[in-house]
Amino acid sequence: MNLIFTLAWRNLWRNRKRTFITMSSVFFAVILAILFFSMEQGSYERMIDSLVKYSTGYIQVQDVLYHEEPSIDHAMLFDEDIEALLEKYDEEISFHVPRLQSFALAATENTTRGSMVTGIDVEKELMMNDLSDDITQGEFLSKNDDGLLIAEGLASILGAGVGDTLVLLGQGFQGTTAAGKFPVKGMVDLKIPEINNNTLYMTLENAQWFYGADNRLTALIIMPENPDKTQSLAQQMLEDIDREWYTILTWEELLKDLLALMKFDMAGTMVMMVILYIVIAFGLFGTILMMLIERQREFALLFSLGMKRKILAGVCFVETLFISLAGTLMGVIGAIPIVSYFHFNPIPLSGQMAEAISEYGFEPVLPFSSDPTVFYTQALYVLIISVLIGLYPVKKVFQLKILDAKH
Amino acid sequence: MKTVIKTSNLEKIYNSSVAPVRAVNDVNLEFREGEFTAIVGPSGSGKTTFLNLIGGLDKPTKGKVIIDETDISTLKESQLFDFRLRNIGFVFQSYNLIPVLTAKENVSFIMLLQKRAKEEMEKRAKEMLEQVGLSDKINVRPNQLSGGQQQRVAVARALASKPKFVLADEPTANLDTESAFNLLDIMSRLNKEENITLIFSTHDQRVIERAKRVITLVDGSVSKDENFDR
Repeated sequence: MNLIFTLAWRNLWRNRKRTFITMSSVFFAVILAILFFSMEQGSYERMIDSLVKYSTGYIQVQDVLYHEEPSIDHAMLFDEDIEALLEKYDEEISFHVPRLQSFALAATENTTRGSMVTGIDVEKELMMNDLSDDITQGEFLSKNDDGLLIAEGLASILGAGVGDTLVLLGQGFQGTTAAGKFPVKGMVDLKIPEINNNTLYMTLENAQWFYGADNRLTALIIMPENPDKTQSLAQQMLEDIDREWYTILTWEELLKDLLALMKFDMAGTMVMMVILYIVIAFGLFGTILMMLIERQREFALLFSLGMKRKILAGVCFVETLFISLAGTLMGVIGAIPIVSYFHFNPIPLSGQMAEAISEYGFEPVLPFSSDPTVFYTQALYVLIISVLIGLYPVKKVFQLKILDAKH
Repeated sequence: MKTVIKTSNLEKIYNSSVAPVRAVNDVNLEFREGEFTAIVGPSGSGKTTFLNLIGGLDKPTKGKVIIDETDISTLKESQLFDFRLRNIGFVFQSYNLIPVLTAKENVSFIMLLQKRAKEEMEKRAKEMLEQVGLSDKINVRPNQLSGGQQQRVAVARALASKPKFVLADEPTANLDTESAFNLLDIMSRLNKEENITLIFSTHDQRVIERAKRVITLVDGSVSKDENFDR
C-alpha cells in the first residue's frame, strides 16, 4: 500500500504543469457546478421561502371545498374541532396564524381597482413574517385597528396615501354585500410585483365584520416547530380531523403548480449541468489518456521487473484520485466565499429578465443558496466522474501487453 | 556446473499480415550457473525474441523453457510475474529506471516487491551502488544521471535481489565507449564475484570480446555456439 501511495504521489509531481492543469480543470468545474446549482437552488429557496412566509405557511387547515373553489362562501368555522386539533398537536406546533382572505373592489375618489383583502391576526402574523419591517409610510396595524395597510403598488394605482380613506365593496359570506370605508394606516412594500399591486391588510376582526363571516377563516396556517417534519405532522393531523368538513394541505400541495414549474425548469438546468460534466469528463480523460500513452514503456519495465498488474493499476487509480480529490476540495473551498457573498448580496436583475421574473410574481434578484447540499452534491458528482475516468487506466493496465508496450 | 536455463525445440512464430514469421526456430540450448554469454546475430535474427522467451515476457509457439526444473511456458500470467520477480534480473537498452525513484530506491525496487526487510534492502542497495561506483549518487534521481550511470544503476538493481540469471538486451547500445567499457568491467566483475549467470543480446563487439560464450543466431536458429577461455 505504501508503495502504491509513494509512486502515485511522486508521479503527480514528475509533470507538475500537467498535474496543475488537470487539478485546475477539476477545480473550475467544481466551482462552476456549485455556482450554477447554488444560483438555481437559491432562486427556488427564495421563492418558496417568501411564498411560505407571506402566503401559504407550511401547513394550512381549510374548508374541504375552499382549495378547489377559493370563495368566501367556503370559509370555515373556527370551532371547537379546530381548537381541539391545535391543543392535541400543541407540542409539534410552534404557532398558528388565522387568515380570512377574499376579493373586493377598492376605490378612491377617482379610481377603482380589484384587490385581495387579507384579514390578519396582527400579533400572530408578525410571528410568521416581517411584514412590519416592510412598512414604508405610516405605521403597522395595531391589535384593534380599524384601518388598512395598503401595498405600495396598489396605493400608486389608486393614488392613495396614508390618511386617505378607501371604499371597499365586495361579496360577503353567503351572498351578503360587503361594503365599508377604511382609513389607510400604513403603506407596505411587498417586493413581489403581483402581490404588491393588489394587496390590502386589515385586522381579522375587521375582515370578519366586513365580509359578514363571524368566527370564520379561509385558512388557518400552522407553523410547525420543525419545518422538516411538515409532511408527517400534516399527515397525522389529517387523520385526526373531520375530513367531511376540513382538509389539511402542506405548502407543497398549495404550491403544486409552482413546484411543477420548478421541476420543469430544473430539467433545463440539469441539461446544462450534464453538458458541463461532459466537458469536465473529456478534459480529465484527455490528460489521463496522454499520461497513459507517455508511460507505456515505463509500465512495460515495471511488469518485466515483476510488478503485479493490480499494484500498477492501484498506482494509476490513486494518481487520478489524488488529482480529483485535490481539485474538488479546492473547488469547494474556492466556491464558499463566492457563494456566501452572493447569498447575502443577491444579484439584482434588470431589463427583460427582471420583467419576466416579476411576471411570475417574484422579486427580480438572483440569490445564491448556501445550503451544504449544494456543495457536497456537486463535489460528489465531479468526484464520481473523476473516479469513473480513473478506472480507464486501471482497465488499460490490465489489458496492456508487455511486449507491445516495450517497443 | 548446474544448468540454470534449458530450452528444447523452442519456436516462436509471429503471424504477420503477409506470411508467418519464424522468429525463433527450434533452439536447443543450456545455460549454466555463472556463465557470461553473448547472443549475437544480425538484426531480425531473433536475439530479442529469444531473450523475451527465456525471460518469460513472451510465450513460445512450441517447445519448452525450463528454469530450475520449472517449465515457464506452462505458467499462467500471474505465476510468471512472480517467477520473474524471484528469479530473473533485467537490463534493457534504454528506459531502464523508474524516473520518480532515487538510485537507491531503484536498486531496492525488486527487493521491495519481494517484500524483503527494510534493513536488508537498505544494506544491499548501498552495497550494490558501491559496487557499480555510484555510492555518491544514492539519493539522485535518474534524470540527474548520465546514460552510463543509469545503466550501472540498472545493473545494480538487476543483481541486488540475487536472481538466478540476468538478461541484458543490448545494454551498451546507447553508451559511449568509455561508459560501455566501464559497464562491462562492472558486469564481468559481478559475474565472477556473485556467480550470477549473465546473458546478453548484443551487436556490440566490445561485449562479444568479453563473453566467455558466444551464441550466434541466424534467422532464428543457432548457427554457432562457441566457448572462450577469458
